[in-house]
Amino acid sequence: MMTQRRSFLRHRYSKTLIAALFVLVYLFPVYWMVATSLKSSGDIFATPPKLFPIPLNFTAYDTQVLHNPLLGSVFVNSIIISLGTLALTLLLAVPGAYGLARLKLRGSGLILLFMLIGQLLPSIVIAGPLFILFSRIGLLNSHFGLILADTTFTLPFSVIILRPFFLAVPSELEAAAKVDGCTQFGVLWRIVIPYVRPGLITVAAFALLIAWGEFVFALSLNPRTNQPVTVALNKFIGQYGTQWNNLMAVSTVVALPIVLIFASLQRFIVGGLTSGAVKE
Amino acid sequence: MALRETFGSNLAAAERLSWTVRLRRYSGYLFVTPMLLYTIVMMAYPILSNLQTSLYDVDVATFRSGDAPFIGLENYRELLNNPAFTKAAALSLVFTSSSIFLQFSVGFALALFFNQKFPGNGILRAMLLLAWLLPAVVVGNIFRWMLDGDYGPLNYFLQSLGLLQEKQYWLLNPNTALLGVILANAWVGIPFNMLLLLAGLQNISPTLYEAASIDGANGWKRFRSITLPLMRPVALGILLLTFIYTFKVFDLIYVMTKGGPVDSTTVLPIYTFKLTFDFFRFGDGAAAATVLLLGLLCLAIGYSRLIRAEETA
Repeated sequence: MMTQRRSFLRHRYSKTLIAALFVLVYLFPVYWMVATSLKSSGDIFATPPKLFPIPLNFTAYDTQVLHNPLLGSVFVNSIIISLGTLALTLLLAVPGAYGLARLKLRGSGLILLFMLIGQLLPSIVIAGPLFILFSRIGLLNSHFGLILADTTFTLPFSVIILRPFFLAVPSELEAAAKVDGCTQFGVLWRIVIPYVRPGLITVAAFALLIAWGEFVFALSLNPRTNQPVTVALNKFIGQYGTQWNNLMAVSTVVALPIVLIFASLQRFIVGGLTSGAVKE
Repeated sequence: MALRETFGSNLAAAERLSWTVRLRRYSGYLFVTPMLLYTIVMMAYPILSNLQTSLYDVDVATFRSGDAPFIGLENYRELLNNPAFTKAAALSLVFTSSSIFLQFSVGFALALFFNQKFPGNGILRAMLLLAWLLPAVVVGNIFRWMLDGDYGPLNYFLQSLGLLQEKQYWLLNPNTALLGVILANAWVGIPFNMLLLLAGLQNISPTLYEAASIDGANGWKRFRSITLPLMRPVALGILLLTFIYTFKVFDLIYVMTKGGPVDSTTVLPIYTFKLTFDFFRFGDGAAAATVLLLGLLCLAIGYSRLIRAEETA
């Protein structure tokens, strides 16, 4: 009995060990990015490659990140664009998904189908027409233009994710609030929103992740000014050449907000993915 | 007299009620109006405007002056007769199907593994998802470095295993560049496939496996006659979804190779981008974009049909 239980335990942890080793190997490219960013210019060209960045060298961060005014400004651009996309997405998707789920509107099936198709739209297909449109109304190279464009990714996704959450709100709650004199908008704000908070967090997390990493619209619609970090990083490829430690330091800093959002909201992100089965 | 009074006031009340009900129903449209307006301006209009542009000879000069001549389907005829377009379409198919093959098979194997109960399961499989969430520009850069001919760890690894004799410049060689890009894209997509397939596996009722065990079915038999048939609809949906997502991949490839060397990784989205934003041939670019969209639309319709069939089943 005793030995049986022990072998069972060993078996359990052996699976954990296999999984942990696999994750370690699978995420090696991410480790290699960080390790390279902490090496000196000489160490990155060592043969055989040095697995660990010893001694730690912060020169790349010091020169390319801390004392790089360009990186600071593109970071600010990315923060503005990401938060703007988040705000616009919630502003449109929350009432939209609520309307589709709660109020029996005619044509809501059609709207939903359009959202589903919109989610599969290649950004390159709308980047061209948006370039022409934005150049006519003066939105090229602007934060707002890019926020408008990035929301084409996040809106369909958010509506599809949020609708089931709204459907799950018990209608008795809403009816009770209406009896107490709440307006339709008051019901949405006071009763429904607190109820669908997990869905909102999922949608918010994805809006930030998508907007932060977006590249196609930024490349085509903001070719001159107000560029986000992704376009700047792409430019550095040509400038840095084989200064891999510098390039990896900037890459690490660009990836950092994603890692932080993922680490803190992991539960909502994984849950949202499996329920909605979607991404930009 | 009393009767008419009661009847009349009821009628008025009923009328008032139906009026407020109607008002409330229309006020419902207020909630969806902003979203609809945005969708029309930012998504429907570009698609239609694209269609229109594709029928005109729009280049740099006519774009500025705004008097591009109408040429009907000339852009499309030119496009379909252009070997560069045909090559881009073929490369797109190779890129998409190989990526999907890798993502799906490895993702399925991982999903089967993570479908077992063991400590740390949730956090470990969530960590894999990091590969899928990193910005494509970052992933592209990492893989340029991983696949570097002189100092990349992949070459070192393969050489020390004796699998590679000479240095391989993966992304600089037109014969291997597409392979390198497929590898990077599969790395991004495997965790996503795993997660969706795992959700499918977890939906299979454990009582089915128990019943099969009692009937004496071994592991392989259970897999073949329970897991595979029950996963079929889920798997089909995921395959179609990832096909569309993979077919439109632009950023990863653009960052890694810019479509080169010698157009060996110029898939359709890259080809379309180059026409419009490198050569400013807006008319040709719009035609290419429309062809790309039409192809995907056919798939999307198939996809939504499949979903609906699953929901009613």
